[in-house]
Amino acid sequence: MDDLALAWIRLEVLGALRSERKSCLRPLASDSVAAGFPSPADDYIETGIDLNDALIRHPSSTFFLRVSGDSMRGAGIQHGDLLIVDRSLEFRSGKIVVAVIEGAFTLKRLVQHQGQWHLEAAHPAYPATPLNDDLDHCLWGVASHAIHAL
Amino acid sequence: MPSNDPATRPATGRATVLIDGNNFYASCEAVVDPSLIGRALVVLSNNDGCIVSRSAEARALGIPMGTPYFKVRSALERQGVIVRSSNYALYADMSQRMMATLEPWVEELEIYSIDEAFGQLHRLRDGGDLTSWGQQVRHTVLRQLGLPVAVGIAPSKVLAKLANKLAKSSASHGGVFDLGTVLDPAPYLEAVPIEDVWGIGRKLSRWCRLRGVANAKALRDMPNGELRRKCGVVGLRLQHELQGVACIPMELVPSSKRETCVSRSFSQPIRELPQLKQAIATYLSRAAEKLRRQGQRTGAITVFVRSSPFNGTSFYSRAATVSLALASNDTAVLLAAALPLAEKLFHPHKPLQKAGVLMQQLVGEDTLQHHLLVPLPEEQQQRRRSLMATIDRLNKRYGQGSVQWAACGFTPPWQMQRSRLSRAATTRLGEIPIVYA
Repeated sequence: MDDLALAWIRLEVLGALRSERKSCLRPLASDSVAAGFPSPADDYIETGIDLNDALIRHPSSTFFLRVSGDSMRGAGIQHGDLLIVDRSLEFRSGKIVVAVIEGAFTLKRLVQHQGQWHLEAAHPAYPATPLNDDLDHCLWGVASHAIHAL
Repeated sequence: MPSNDPATRPATGRATVLIDGNNFYASCEAVVDPSLIGRALVVLSNNDGCIVSRSAEARALGIPMGTPYFKVRSALERQGVIVRSSNYALYADMSQRMMATLEPWVEELEIYSIDEAFGQLHRLRDGGDLTSWGQQVRHTVLRQLGLPVAVGIAPSKVLAKLANKLAKSSASHGGVFDLGTVLDPAPYLEAVPIEDVWGIGRKLSRWCRLRGVANAKALRDMPNGELRRKCGVVGLRLQHELQGVACIPMELVPSSKRETCVSRSFSQPIRELPQLKQAIATYLSRAAEKLRRQGQRTGAITVFVRSSPFNGTSFYSRAATVSLALASNDTAVLLAAALPLAEKLFHPHKPLQKAGVLMQQLVGEDTLQHHLLVPLPEEQQQRRRSLMATIDRLNKRYGQGSVQWAACGFTPPWQMQRSRLSRAATTRLGEIPIVYA
């Protein structure tokens, strides 16, 4: 049973990690005791805060991207942030969007100005880009959140 | 080929649709890597063996499907075609997203394969015509996932499959074709070779050809007595479906499998017995895990090996089977029973290219087994079961191979080669794409 022994050794190493993880998923209260009076707290069971629920409205059309660059700093999006993009949201003037420009994902604000659509940076050093036939582009999705590590 | 503007008729009742992703693997690659959009791209099978998916641009170059990579490698390089290994993590995730997106569009959805699903819905508006409905489905999946799909609509599954093909083959259909509202579908059926009819095997199509039944229309119209004598209910069902009578039901719950197979090609030929044993041990433990996930036990294990069909030496292919006294899904039991087969199959002068294990005579885990040989007392069996369950959970949480049997070896040289693998861009935080701000 050498192979079994090996499996057990690895199990023990991972065991600590596992119990740690589990603790944050456990409900705050639960009706596990069958005898006696029901707990008065049972009507108020909460399952904890799930960031997936809070930040992702449409899981099947939501993608994560990593931000590189500082042109959106004025909008509160910084280099290294985790960007949540929901491709089911409508493209509207003022939304921060991911566009594909010449084969690369680009993050800018979509703005309609006097009938002309532009991609605008949130940084004075970057000029706005008009969206016209001269530019190889397509709109990919609307950014819904940026997660910034402190 | 019939004209593109056929006479139509109103249709009522339930429609069956087949929705599938165009060039699914290649399309998935372009979703997370926009530099691939509009480029000729091919995706290779396991071990970078054959071309299994081509972008529209690669198709246009005339690169054939299924070609062994090594044969066209330099030609692809010359033409600037981009090559990717199969990224199953990405395709599985995109598939699950696609199915979830389709779900609300139909009354019932049957996931038929990684990139195709049957659906059913009632024809209500527009004289029953579902073409504009199909366009909306297409638009939604393209917009929300970046995946192009084709929609075939018809009264039955066999015809829906056919309509889907027509939707793709003619540019004027725009990826959607409703065969159910076509006044006379005969010219369309006539254009479909018998081999392309869904559900026709190679044997049956050959039999049809011998009788001059060369296309879908001829099969639809042939005398049913002859068909019934040859292939019984199966043939009649096919014929009915072609006539527009739905008789193949939707499978909403995947039927429990009767066999499970795990096999792979090696990145480099195996010439030594210990390596072959490691490979087979790896496949056995994967198969055992599959069985446990499906709640099944196996009663018999077949191990097979073969040499490369491409190199000059004579082709070598062998298989051996062992029956278990007591059906099991315990990895240790399966290893003990089937690993000795590797010794039988190994040949010192035949470099092996591929091996696999096939689990047969599967029974449900809850099936009671009355047997004189009960190898372990109940308490110990319970402990084995919970050990297996724990190992499965750990591998699920921390990634395949976090806990494995020593018999499988560590980073063995024969393991699958995927030299041009893209990243797990939708399932691993460390591998998500970059967006430039």
